[in-house]
Amino acid sequence: MADKKKMSVAEILAAARADGKAAAPGEAAGQSPPEATPPKSPEPAAQAPTASPAAPKPGSAGRPSVKDILAMARAKGTAAEPAAEAPAKPKPAAKASAAKTTGTPKPVADVAGPKKNVQRDTASILAAARSGARPGPVSKAAAPALAKPAAKKAAAKPPARSVPPRPARPAAAKPAKSTATEERRSILSYAVGSFMAVGFTALSVTGGLFSLGLARYFFPNVLAEPPSRFKVGSKEGFPAGKVETKYVAQYGVWVVNSDFEGMQQIYALKTVCTHLGCTPNWLEAEQKFKCPCHGSGFYKDGINFEGPAPRPLERYAIRIADDGQLEVDKSKSFQEELGQWNDPESFVTA
Amino acid sequence: MHSNGFFLSDVAGFLGGYYTFLAVMNGIAAVILWRQQQRAGWAMVWATFAGAMMILASLALSGSASMVPVLPAAVRGLVNQLSGPVLYTLGTTAFLVLLFVFRKFFVQPMVAWTVFNLSLLLLGLSMADENFAAIVMKPDNVPIVGLVYLLAFFTWVATKQAVVNDERIKQGLPVMEKVNDEKVLVWPDLVYTELICMVAVSAFLLVWAIFLPAPLEEPASSVKTPNPSKAPWYFLGLQEMLVYFDPWYAGVVLPSLVVFGLMAMPYLDFNKSGNGYYSIEERKFSYLVWQFGFFELWITLIILGTFLRGPNWNFFGPFEYWTPYKVEVLNNVDLPQMFWVQWLNQPLPRAPQDAGLLVQIGYILLREAPGLMVMGAYLVLLPPLLAITVFRGFYAKMGFIRYMVMANLMLLMLTLPLKMILRWTLNLKYIISIPEFSLNF
Repeated sequence: MADKKKMSVAEILAAARADGKAAAPGEAAGQSPPEATPPKSPEPAAQAPTASPAAPKPGSAGRPSVKDILAMARAKGTAAEPAAEAPAKPKPAAKASAAKTTGTPKPVADVAGPKKNVQRDTASILAAARSGARPGPVSKAAAPALAKPAAKKAAAKPPARSVPPRPARPAAAKPAKSTATEERRSILSYAVGSFMAVGFTALSVTGGLFSLGLARYFFPNVLAEPPSRFKVGSKEGFPAGKVETKYVAQYGVWVVNSDFEGMQQIYALKTVCTHLGCTPNWLEAEQKFKCPCHGSGFYKDGINFEGPAPRPLERYAIRIADDGQLEVDKSKSFQEELGQWNDPESFVTA
Repeated sequence: MHSNGFFLSDVAGFLGGYYTFLAVMNGIAAVILWRQQQRAGWAMVWATFAGAMMILASLALSGSASMVPVLPAAVRGLVNQLSGPVLYTLGTTAFLVLLFVFRKFFVQPMVAWTVFNLSLLLLGLSMADENFAAIVMKPDNVPIVGLVYLLAFFTWVATKQAVVNDERIKQGLPVMEKVNDEKVLVWPDLVYTELICMVAVSAFLLVWAIFLPAPLEEPASSVKTPNPSKAPWYFLGLQEMLVYFDPWYAGVVLPSLVVFGLMAMPYLDFNKSGNGYYSIEERKFSYLVWQFGFFELWITLIILGTFLRGPNWNFFGPFEYWTPYKVEVLNNVDLPQMFWVQWLNQPLPRAPQDAGLLVQIGYILLREAPGLMVMGAYLVLLPPLLAITVFRGFYAKMGFIRYMVMANLMLLMLTLPLKMILRWTLNLKYIISIPEFSLNF
């Protein structure tokens, strides 16, 4: 098996030629599966004239080689085409035909040479080529008879390589005979058609209702989110220097009373690290905000001083509401690097 | 923080099993060596070692605090005191360089076996320390311990083959890959092997999952970040990179460059030798660049991020208690701050209050001029400079485009270690710092 695999196409062709097997056409044709379709394209037929003077090589004692046979078969009629065009099995002889179909120009060039003895065996060759193909011009009954000489020769001189038996024609290839099934199918198709209509109607109605429900889902009755504006008590609750952390869990805000650029201010810092968005922790002992993700550190006033954070923490808007309480508004934020901390909305003077 | 009896009695059973395993492993090794006629001396060594491990196992199994073998407290304290990101990085680099330079020594099986056993012994002695065990025996971290050994093993195997091949090439012999054709049939040899491996690994994972379940934590909250907060182990190198860079660079550009660089590699490589066999001598440059990028810039960072980064992403020694209150001075400044304020003693150039956008950008560019010039010189001037000096031969062989791609990839790769060094030595935060447009480098 393995050493056979290693034979190149050229070697196989040479071997086939030297043996001059008459069985080859039969083999090549026999290998073609019964499903092989009738001639598909006119191209091979157009090629045929160039191949028509095909003849066996002088050296092969008058016996036509595989290529020659195939070429002649092509030239004679399109009915033989399937044999050459059929997908070949990986048997050496079949490989030769495969090489042809894949378009190696060499065999064609060989065939085109001036050769004699053209008419010697054509009938048998043709019959052999046709025998495996779909019933073309030659009737089914006539084909075996025509193929006989080829078969006889194959029997007389068995090839070196084993030839598997020709596969049985599958039942599917036979034309359907009864029309009763057609009728039944048509009755069924009416029913199925209406089922389909019902099914698709139901599907679209369900889909529509589902989409409506999904749309409703985006407008919940109760919004669990805390409001973005909230009161945190009076100024007195935030003595100087204090960082109030009790609003972190619910609102994500530190309320700080601290000195910033010489002014005692109360401001609301957003608890989002400006590096990658983790929540830093307030470390009372070290008087700094420290991020657990990459170690960024911020002073009490929110200015970044260590680690990779590129800019200070952001502030939320804060004001004194009408009732005297401090009110934080998370819908507005102020960034120091853009000079927004000078905005009077960003702090309350303590 | 403090070793106590409760912890030791908990860990004693495990350590007993661990030392017994070491003893059995070395006993088997001794038997195998004994059967090979010339290796009787080594067999005796490992048999003795196995005996010592049995003694350690029985000491550990005694479960009493004074008996369980552990590294002396003085040693642990010293290690904690010495360890820091700088020493860690320098140490791992020195270690890898040592392994590379003396690779002919380390690829000898008996040497490797010795190193392997000593590292396992050290691991066992360290695991009797509570703080060390808390980190190393955490279910998330156990696979990373395994990964370190697995990686070391495969690197060792490849290096051994490369060393053998290099020796053979020097003697004019064909390489081992040509001599020993290791080809097997896919069916059945390979497929059966794979099937058996699949079944074995599945069974192993099943047992592992039962005995070392994955830890579950509380539900996620946007305002609560665990401390320390760690990425999955394979991203810990990335997380460590993020300590030194802005997210867009360390999180987007550098990883993309890694992928792009790996894809570009076959097109940049003009060295035809080493194709289909292991060799170091024949492709030293490629080998060193690859190993530097892989081990130094990825694996050591994963190990650092896994075992040595604690709460607040502070560096902790291997035997140190992970307290969230550790104070570490990391005060760092940007280059413009350094240049204008510290060196020129004048305030940062700042646009007037109500200046237009273009005026602001002008002031920003003036402020960042030193950083922009440094980066410009690094990425624009350095490649041609290298082309006419160090990489002269490379430039001649590769041509302009290939050389420029390679030089820029290498320079961008080197930004990571350079930035780390600058952070440690000069406390430099960003070379270019434009927070107004989230552009920091």
